[in-house]
Parts: sequence; structure tokens; C-alpha cells
Amino acid sequence: MKRLVSATLLAGLLSGCMGSMPLPIGPLNRQLESLGANRDPSLSGRWLALISGKGGREQVVLVDLERQQPLPLPGLNRADAQPLSVSVDGAGDRIALVRQLEGRTELVLYRRSLQSLQPIAMVPSGVPRQVQLQADGRQMAVQVSRAGLWQVDLVKIP
Amino acid sequence: MQEQPSGTVIRLRHFQGHQPHSSPSLSWTGRYVAALVQQGAQRVPLIEDRATGALHRLPLPADRTAVRLSLAPDARRLAVQVAQGGQWRIQAFDLAGLLEPDLPGGVAIQGGGPGAPP
Repeated sequence: MKRLVSATLLAGLLSGCMGSMPLPIGPLNRQLESLGANRDPSLSGRWLALISGKGGREQVVLVDLERQQPLPLPGLNRADAQPLSVSVDGAGDRIALVRQLEGRTELVLYRRSLQSLQPIAMVPSGVPRQVQLQADGRQMAVQVSRAGLWQVDLVKIP
Repeated sequence: MQEQPSGTVIRLRHFQGHQPHSSPSLSWTGRYVAALVQQGAQRVPLIEDRATGALHRLPLPADRTAVRLSLAPDARRLAVQVAQGGQWRIQAFDLAGLLEPDLPGGVAIQGGGPGAPP
């Protein structure tokens, strides 16, 4: 108890001296630690999408920040696919994913409410590497490699 | 930073001289721009408030290297991917005491002054 009071006092004094600082979200960070190695965070609304690896296999995880619990994503993760980049919209419904599957790199759009997966073609053709969904889910920015150059495509979502 | 659909390039005040930049992330209206920049030997998460000109740094312990970040569109949270001890980790931060929320047009802020409906 004494230790807790001291830590609270110290935090108060530090914040008074240094102004407001970003505060680590302790319970959430502990929950993330329990998932294993994590990368590629995407925050939107009450959702955090990320790529998590345990036992040599990586998969997409969607965390509900209010409940601080991962949610099931039926039909999205495959044992033979390697996720590269993920992004979630503000409703937590649409998840854009760049993944490697059967030697190809592809961009897919997952709808959680429908449990559907839709491939998104790069036009003109190119290799997607990173994706970021707009919070309203209406379009996404995709980093694409074409003829050795990085380009960014804005793709409208029907 | 580029305004859409005009394509106008917007200069950022605090990012110059700290190249290379990586992992840019925008709030809803583009008020806040977050990215990783180079400061000395370290990759440092910065958030620029384009409305006030303020700059916010996120200090990380010396044993962690920032790799990627994501700013929530409402600017209430920031997630940072770090490398620590040979492993990737994601750490989430609460920005509520630091930044005003950046809400999409037409979304009311909770609460109000005198005469506000209960």
C-alpha cells in the first residue's frame, strides 16, 4: 500500500513538473503481452488490430479496447498465409489485410459482420506492402511496389 | 502531407531536419500528424498539432526502439510497436490528458455548458 501511495505521489509530482504526458494503458498492455510478439498496430475507434505471433505462426488479432479482449475473426486467418500489414475501420467491421499466400502478395478486405473476404486488385498491377483504412471505411491508402518504385494508391471501397 | 482531393502538399513545422520519417498517421481532420522521426541515434514518436503548432514527443526507455505507430483517428490513443530484447511488442498510450479529441464533423462532444440538455 505504501509503495502504491509513493508511486502515485511520484507520478503526480512528475506530471506537475513535466506537464501532461502520454500514459501507458497498463491493463491493455498486459493483455497484449499475453498474446505473444506483436507488430503492425492499427487503432480506430474502440478497436486495435495487430499481427501477433506465437509458436512461429503469425495471425491477425482484433482487440476490443473497451473490454480489452481479442475477438474471433472467423475466415480471416489461414495457417498457410503470412500477414504483412493490417488496418481496421472505426466500426471494427472492415479489416484490410496485405498477406502472402501461395507465393503471391495480395490485398484483401474482410467484413466481420458478414464473415466475408474480398480480394482487392491493384490497378495497374503492383505488389501491395502496407495498407491503411480510413476510419469511416470508405477508402484505403495502399503502399504498392511497381517496377521497383514505391507508390501510394487511394482505393475507394464500394 | 497531402490534402485530398486537391493534392496540395502541406508543410509540417516540426518534422523538418529529422529525416528519415516513417509510419505517418493522421487524426480524423488532419489536425494531428504522428510519425517516427530521427533524433540523434533514436527513432522517436512525434505528434504535431497543426491547429496550435504544438509538438508532443513520446519518450521511450532506452532499451526500446520504436518501429511503427498508429494514432487513433480521434487522437485519444496511440499505439507504438517497439523492438525490445529481440522481440516486437505493442504498447498503447492514453492521450486524453494531452490532446483535444479530433472528432469527425457532426459528432457532438459529450457534456456542455449551462442550458445543455441533461
